[in-house]
Amino acid sequence: MEKKKIKVTIDGHPYEVGSGKTILEACNETGVMIPNLCYLKDVSQNASCGICVVEVKGAKTLVRSCVTGMREGMEIVTHSPQIDQARKTNLELILANHPKDCLVCERNGNCELQDLSAQLGIKEDAFPRTKPHMLPDDTSLALFRNPDKCILCGRCVAVCAEMQTVYAIDFTGRGLRSRIGTFQDKGLGNVACTSCGQCALVCPTAAIVERDETNEVFCDLYDNDKIVVVQTAPAIRVGVGEAMGMDEGALVTGQMVAALRKLGFDKVFDTQFTADLTIMEEGYELINRIKTGGTLPMVTSCSPGWIKFIEHFFPKSLDHLSTCKSPQQMFGAVAKTYYAEKMNIDPRKLVVVSIMPCTAKKFECKRPEMQSAFHYWKEKIGLAEHESFFDVDYVLTTRELAKMFKRKGIDFEHLKEEEFDKPLGISTGAGVIFGATGGVMEAAVRTAYEVLTGKPLEKIDLTAVRGFEGIREAELDIAGTKVKVAVAHTLKNARTLLEQIEEGKSPYAFIEVMTCPGGCLGGGGQPIPTTWAIRQKRADSIYKEDKLHAIRKSHENPAIKAIYEEFLVEPLGHKSHELLHTGYVERGIF
Amino acid sequence: MNTSDDNLADRVAIDEIISRHNGKPGSLLTMMEEMQETNEYKFLDSDAMSYLSAQTKTPLSQIYSVATFYSFFNLKPQGKHTIIVCRGTACHTKGSKVLLDDMSSLPGCKEALDAGENSFTTEDRLLTVKTVACFGQCALAPVVAVDGVIYSNVTSEQIKKILKNLQEGNKDENIRLR
Repeated sequence: MEKKKIKVTIDGHPYEVGSGKTILEACNETGVMIPNLCYLKDVSQNASCGICVVEVKGAKTLVRSCVTGMREGMEIVTHSPQIDQARKTNLELILANHPKDCLVCERNGNCELQDLSAQLGIKEDAFPRTKPHMLPDDTSLALFRNPDKCILCGRCVAVCAEMQTVYAIDFTGRGLRSRIGTFQDKGLGNVACTSCGQCALVCPTAAIVERDETNEVFCDLYDNDKIVVVQTAPAIRVGVGEAMGMDEGALVTGQMVAALRKLGFDKVFDTQFTADLTIMEEGYELINRIKTGGTLPMVTSCSPGWIKFIEHFFPKSLDHLSTCKSPQQMFGAVAKTYYAEKMNIDPRKLVVVSIMPCTAKKFECKRPEMQSAFHYWKEKIGLAEHESFFDVDYVLTTRELAKMFKRKGIDFEHLKEEEFDKPLGISTGAGVIFGATGGVMEAAVRTAYEVLTGKPLEKIDLTAVRGFEGIREAELDIAGTKVKVAVAHTLKNARTLLEQIEEGKSPYAFIEVMTCPGGCLGGGGQPIPTTWAIRQKRADSIYKEDKLHAIRKSHENPAIKAIYEEFLVEPLGHKSHELLHTGYVERGIF
Repeated sequence: MNTSDDNLADRVAIDEIISRHNGKPGSLLTMMEEMQETNEYKFLDSDAMSYLSAQTKTPLSQIYSVATFYSFFNLKPQGKHTIIVCRGTACHTKGSKVLLDDMSSLPGCKEALDAGENSFTTEDRLLTVKTVACFGQCALAPVVAVDGVIYSNVTSEQIKKILKNLQEGNKDENIRLR
């Protein structure tokens, strides 16, 4: 249906714009950009900053264009001495309470407040600080909050509540003591926060950032005694290029591998290898559950924010989770057992670094149960308790990786493409699409169909589960059996499917859940900004990479066949249970 | 979650409050207000807020947001008697700071208020001293409220007397609203 057009005047020129838009949106549509700060498309319109003010003919005062609807016949002025002065004063009032430590700030060079100050021509500290200093929140293993840098735009609160339905944070206090806080100021690490990091992704400043571990990784890279291997998640190859100044969604697999070698990693491996392994284990688990009358629907367990969400909010439904570890944790366990054994490396000297589009992975790798390799070796060669180590030592986000590339002076864009190391760098197209919402489902179907029917799958692309619709479903015909499956991204949509399960009304056998909008490619650790248009470009690159792979089904990956022959024996076997499967805890809300 | 017996008494009262208000628009504020009144020490304790959250499906962060926005809500146990000193502009110019300083006879009080706390309770939980921004009784400045009764044009001498009376449990009919 054609949307009604309305006639308006912007800065003296007549325009026709679509109805039902705000002044800000309508002006942007015509190419007239209005400076703004707290507003973020599709996330939040809190109208707290007062930067987007414009003159509307007939209005007594300046109006905030982000929340005022454009109406027929409106006459808008977007720039005038009065408007410019108002914007400047409003920004100066925000800056009065913002630290001026840009040079040493996490977001230096990628900060909306910094950009806006330059844009509006701020030259001096106009007003003195009025707020008391507030203590940082370093309780979370994934995220770090610095309330002094917060400008109270409310984006984080909106994204946590509306997109994720987690409500970990809200405005607390009043007046000069207003701040974003958790229940009883316990800190993010001590409340029901899923560590998804969407708050960090939308924060205009450095008030919420990931816990930076780049220095620790540099230390280990320079330590000749240690063998440092890296695994990269599927979504990094469509994200890190952006952070290095390339086009949105640029597919940079080869450059990324080359750059990681330049950083000094001894081996550059791929999380997609263990994504393929996950499909084997999870696929067989699903088949097993269907055949033996196990708990259905089975829900994927790759997304650690989602895992923490269900542990906090739906502990009664934990049986529905696949017991498979996420690909990153499977990688850590396999690297420190299978690979270490194969290459005759002392597992205590092996350091596994993960590059993830995700902040929740930082939390996941420190879960106490993620020490399977240590227990394997403890039994095998009698390691002592004090020698314990985690399967994955460090998780860095895409943003942290880009910082390391820059610190090392790597000319990323012009690097010659290189290939992943063998054997843990060999993967298929099925592994790639783990990076997009619906990808795990599609990869699982590619394998499950062939395992169950013994026939090759004719149509490899399962387009019904692709795209960004919040919840998507499909009915599959596998050897005459009809199986209903569903895919959800964002925790709000996951909550809908879980409530269905708890009411006993879920018609599905298998559900894929990704915490972040768009799947991992829209993860909390991805480059800032991440918008829906950018997510789409990253998704396009993911599916392009899938098509480039000669092998597009996990069970056909030769390295996967080899690891079962040489080490694991069979899916769901004894070693798989020790190394690749896990359990969950009831957390509750607090 | 704590399920000791004295908490259980609270639970019944909270259930009753919830059953009367839940679902009505703006009910959160009313429920929190009544919960605070029900509490022996007139404050919102952690367990009570968690219970309210679970029963009404209101996120804890929102309950805390409301509790910290309104100075009416107490997050710490309150004393048997409450003295509220107005620190609005009119009261300030008429000497309310002096009245607050008179409270320094209570050990720890001055330090707590100087540190930016808006409330102080004596260790024996007999007295709570609070400040507010304005009572709206500026013509009668400086104004002090003791257990809900407003005292006007309060002098240093009078506040010391009030303090002494509260500590000793005396009734004094000579200091009244003027």
